[in-house]
Amino acid sequence: MNDMRIVERDVTASSAKMAARGVQVYYGENHALKDVDIDILDKTVTAFIGPSGCGKSTFLRCLNRMNDTVASARVLGSITLENEDIYDKRVDPVTLRAKVGMVFQKPNPFPKSIYDNVAYGPKIHGLTRNKAELDEVVEKSLRKAAIWNEVKDRLDAPGTGLSGGQQQRLCIARAIATSPEVLLMDEPCSALDPIATAQVEELIDELRSQFSVVIVTHSMQQAARVSQRTAFFHLGNLVEYGETGQIFTNPSDPRTESYITGRIG
Amino acid sequence: MQNEKHIVSSFDRDLEGVQATVMKMGGLVEAALLDAAQALDTRDEELANRVRAGDAAIDALEDQVQSECARLIALRGPTASDLRTVLTVMRIAANLERCGDYAKNLAKRSVVLNSMAQIEGATGSIRRMCRAVVLMLKDSLDAYIARDTKMAADVRQRDHEIDQMYNGLFREFLTHMLEDTRTITPCMHLHFIAKNIERVGDHATGIAEQVIYLVDGRLPEEERPKESGLRAMVSASEAEG
Repeated sequence: MNDMRIVERDVTASSAKMAARGVQVYYGENHALKDVDIDILDKTVTAFIGPSGCGKSTFLRCLNRMNDTVASARVLGSITLENEDIYDKRVDPVTLRAKVGMVFQKPNPFPKSIYDNVAYGPKIHGLTRNKAELDEVVEKSLRKAAIWNEVKDRLDAPGTGLSGGQQQRLCIARAIATSPEVLLMDEPCSALDPIATAQVEELIDELRSQFSVVIVTHSMQQAARVSQRTAFFHLGNLVEYGETGQIFTNPSDPRTESYITGRIG
Repeated sequence: MQNEKHIVSSFDRDLEGVQATVMKMGGLVEAALLDAAQALDTRDEELANRVRAGDAAIDALEDQVQSECARLIALRGPTASDLRTVLTVMRIAANLERCGDYAKNLAKRSVVLNSMAQIEGATGSIRRMCRAVVLMLKDSLDAYIARDTKMAADVRQRDHEIDQMYNGLFREFLTHMLEDTRTITPCMHLHFIAKNIERVGDHATGIAEQVIYLVDGRLPEEERPKESGLRAMVSASEAEG
């Protein structure tokens, strides 16, 4: 009977790609994130949900040290990528961010050509040796981001001239051009129409064969559609973390239940 | 379970509406079963015909519940306990609809039986069995309203008693038929009636299990206590043979 079950949600890799232990984040006096323990699984889409100000974006930004850029932010505890502490003094945050890529809420292509948007990362990290290799990386990334066919004849056109959905997929192509191991997405579809959203969601599902994807979303339906694991944050606490189907049919914490059924903001 | 209200209050109204409809169905089904059994016992053809005509209303309510639930799923995207409520309501409506059909069938057969010789004590026994089953049905619906898994578990246990009543009636009819072949036709009708009432007990048990699913998020695992009814019947017929 088991072979008749829905297999999409199966997570083949159960090993942890990233692990957080006892993570606390303070913005000045404000204790924004309290004692978070979580394992981000390899080749899995993990969704972070929770009301505004619950700490989900803060935690996402810890995963590639984006909080380093916030002067008042203090991060305590440990976060590892493949068992290596990413907050170790010897870790260069720029190199880390090539391994842990990020896509933001609003599409933010560089004011450069489509080609240069994607080529930028591999160039500054010295990932390619010559133009031919760079061309290949650009094409491969644009193909993976499901936008190649739409832009292949105008790679020299400015990235900012694309539609919103295309810009977001261009940003995803830019993020995956450095062959990251983890891709962080902070509300990647909130500025997109339903068709572009569906394209990005389809893309996320394809990307999970190669990367871990962590997505912060306010759309519970989106979390349910794209993720295999869901983490619910509330008032700076990680309240519940588990298999997405389980969280949406029978959550164990009453706060999760109240949130996903639309009873607390 | 959730006692808190949704932020979107129209969601609560939709959920309450569909649950009220299913409870109305339950009331009609209980009345139909008791009336049909009374019609059988008192040879009241007019009452039997009223029961037969009343089934259309039960069917219409079921259609209403199913379409409202489909709409609720499409428009509200219910999750967690809300999702389980909708799924449970749909299954309970289907259970009740079947029970309504059995009441209608009982009424139909009672009209046929009115033209035949009475079988000593049979209709009274069937009426008692029907009362016991309706009480189970009522308790399963009360357990639903109260989200009471203890009460639901109790209903599941009681299905055993109904099975025993049915097995007793089966033996009784068999004895009649063996003693006097002219009773075969009425006894066959009475046997189908008893079997159908026993099936109502199974639907009440199904509703009780849905209540447990609704509250706990999973169906009860352990098997219900069940003496093999089939074996009891076979040994009974062998004894008579």
